[in-house]
Amino acid sequence: MDYFSHIYLPGALALWCAVLFGISSMWGYGVALVSGDQGSLTFGRRAYGFFAVSIVLASAVLALLLMMRDFRIEYVYQYSGMDLPVYYQFAAFWAGQKGSFMIWLFWGTLLGLLVRRTAGPSEPAVMGVYTLTLMGLLFILVRENPFVMLGKTPLDGVGLNPLLQDNWMVIHPPIMFIGYASAAIPFAFAMAALWRRQYDGWAARAFPWALGGFLVLGTAILMGGYWAYKTLGWGGYWGWDPVENASLIPWMFGTVLIHGLHMERSQGRYRRANYLLTFLMYISVLYGTFLTRSGVLADFSVHSFVDLGISGYLTLLLGGFFLLGLYLIITRWREIPTRPNEDPFLSRGTFMVMATITLLISTAVITAGTSAPLLTRFMKDPSQVGPSFYNKVNLPIAMLVAFLLALVPYLTWKGTAAREIARKLIGPFVFGVAAVAFSLFWQVHDVFHLAFIFLAALALATNLQKTVAKLRGAGGLRDAGGYLAHVGVGVILLGIIASSGYDVSTKVTLIQNQPREVDGMTLTFKRFIPRQGREKERMEIEVARAGGKPFMVHPKLFINDRTRQVMANPDIRTTPFQDLYVSPIDFDPGQPRLQLAKGESGKVGDMEVRFEGFNLQADGNAMAAMASGQPVTIGATLAVTKNGQTTALMPLYKLNPASGAVETPPATLPGGGAVFVSGINATNGAVQLELTGVANPAKLSVDVTRKPLIQLVWGGLYVILFGGILATVQRFRQMRKQESLGRI
Amino acid sequence: MKKNRMYVFGGLLLLAFAGFSFSAFTESMTPYVSYERARGEDRIVQVAGALEKGSDSYVDAQESLFFTLKDPKSSETLRVRYTGLKPANFADAISIVAIGRYDGQSKEFEAQKLLVKCPSKYQGAEVKTYS
Repeated sequence: MDYFSHIYLPGALALWCAVLFGISSMWGYGVALVSGDQGSLTFGRRAYGFFAVSIVLASAVLALLLMMRDFRIEYVYQYSGMDLPVYYQFAAFWAGQKGSFMIWLFWGTLLGLLVRRTAGPSEPAVMGVYTLTLMGLLFILVRENPFVMLGKTPLDGVGLNPLLQDNWMVIHPPIMFIGYASAAIPFAFAMAALWRRQYDGWAARAFPWALGGFLVLGTAILMGGYWAYKTLGWGGYWGWDPVENASLIPWMFGTVLIHGLHMERSQGRYRRANYLLTFLMYISVLYGTFLTRSGVLADFSVHSFVDLGISGYLTLLLGGFFLLGLYLIITRWREIPTRPNEDPFLSRGTFMVMATITLLISTAVITAGTSAPLLTRFMKDPSQVGPSFYNKVNLPIAMLVAFLLALVPYLTWKGTAAREIARKLIGPFVFGVAAVAFSLFWQVHDVFHLAFIFLAALALATNLQKTVAKLRGAGGLRDAGGYLAHVGVGVILLGIIASSGYDVSTKVTLIQNQPREVDGMTLTFKRFIPRQGREKERMEIEVARAGGKPFMVHPKLFINDRTRQVMANPDIRTTPFQDLYVSPIDFDPGQPRLQLAKGESGKVGDMEVRFEGFNLQADGNAMAAMASGQPVTIGATLAVTKNGQTTALMPLYKLNPASGAVETPPATLPGGGAVFVSGINATNGAVQLELTGVANPAKLSVDVTRKPLIQLVWGGLYVILFGGILATVQRFRQMRKQESLGRI
Repeated sequence: MKKNRMYVFGGLLLLAFAGFSFSAFTESMTPYVSYERARGEDRIVQVAGALEKGSDSYVDAQESLFFTLKDPKSSETLRVRYTGLKPANFADAISIVAIGRYDGQSKEFEAQKLLVKCPSKYQGAEVKTYS
């Protein structure tokens, strides 16, 4: 059995055991579901416990192999290296395809232990569906086994992509995968309810889970944006890249879902829609995984996607869950009890319906944009759509959402009179007008943008008012979560329009010690700071503003030792109202070194150096000397032009073949300085020259960007997430209360 | 009756938005084409290829980068001009995607954006040595 000699058994065995226990668990839960047999339920539970132990073991083995740098293991060889610090070994865990499925499965399995405790009487069905989603991931891992061994033991690994050697890489992906894993939970609750034809109660149980998933996914997206902005130097926090969209789409479905669940819990509305929403949220996770991992987007993204031979599997997984969910929803659709829509127009219910529809449209548009390469594949030329599409289409959507959000706090379920709303809106209206006046002062003239700012400010103010009212009420902070999150939405919309619509970006080349005016500031490239310990090579730029104290920024530009890739990290100077973002593009150290073929010329400072050819008769016949093993002297015939005057020079290259010693007597340049031959390339007849004492200052090209009010983007997201935490806690308590009262 | 009118209004709004999205979609669509097609098109397209060694030069006076793209399959070439600073890692690029349009007068592809792909160690080449 050759296969066994190429697999690391302790790890692979754990995976195979997991398959066995997973199937047993589904079997036990399945029998318990059909027959209600308590013994089978216990069996299912125990088997799930063993399943979890196996997955944890398999993950631990992979982590250990990485720690021990066991390069026999293909995965360790591909993503780790001798010089990789220990804390990045964790990053190596999820740097590759196999490891990221592993961490996803790991979190999913652990979450399952908690899901079991909150499922109540629907445990067999919920856990049956949930374990099935985990088995899908497990089968990918069994096929794309992370414990495959190489036939040999390399001394060193390939190493981790330098772009991923970052603190954010240690923390961001695992959180993203908790979010992905948690999307399966509401799905499992909903499908279990459909299966059992028990349409009540699941919403209360799934609600805190949906909120939790929304929170974790939101946190992961925030971190991803922060990472892209602060270290990767992509110039912004969001680029509508397929990988980013793949996490945004489930999050948006999740956002709609928590509102749908809220409507179902308090009004008995959205009872059919919520099944669809849980389905869409989970399917969109699988679809995003399919898009980004199957290689269909290989030519369209800055992230490198390669087809790793699991496209078929992913298609199967996606198709399988799609058909399963669709089947359950369609066959049960007519049985699901609903309440007809009798809400008056000016009521909270109607506005929430409109807001959720608007968000769904936005999600659909983003999905269509992300899928463009796939959709257009069947047309003449495969195409992709640029960020302009997303921005253009989402601008009116965001305005409509802001408008709806602004009114919701004043609407009751039963309906509110228009006069009443108008009266309450006076304060926030004044705030909105003030925001518009402020924007006009700061040169915002676009009518759409002004309307956008007005609506976002209005939403911020009305929800803030309501949050304060709630804080004073009996429920206190606990009841304020939803409105607080909406305040965050208003804040973030203001931040987005200011920082991306009104940023000022200038690309300039700075010459060392020569101040240059850029966008009202004086920038001076001071010096290049060499590597010091773990601190990479940095550039020092002085920024002076009229009336302000000059300060230094230190963007980094360095070459990764292993891959020889040029890496750039921006430096950001944060002030309350704007960020100054300095991103290095290119650095010319001004080293006066030239490599010239015969007849070529190069420029150093104000001098042009032309290489005419080698002179083999500079000191006796070089060819004859070489043949007899005597010291050889070769001259490089140069024509140096400075201030319109050309001088002929001939620096020498002396080689003693017996001792291997090389002498390079320099030739004096016009106007001072010297030139010497630092190398000769015999194969292509090129010469390498080095010049000393020539003024040729270092040059640094940078992208200098001012991003106004970007703090609001981060701040708004924090507020949304904090509101989400409050709501999650609140819904969890309510669920437990309902449970203790025996209502669910 | 009032409710029906609302649905009609909502439906019309939706339809208008769908039209708007569709036009935005086709407008920002940039198809991937061959060099030959790029020469004939009068709109923004994407071309991809490898950098022909030694073909790149930067002209300070025009702040422009000139280089030749070579299609690895057909060995066709296309001269590209990119106005702006030279992207980092340009010299190590294994493949370059240029987004822009062909200028019939200068016989150059005027790139507005360059996507430079470098030999990344991410998802490294499969090293399979099964006996």
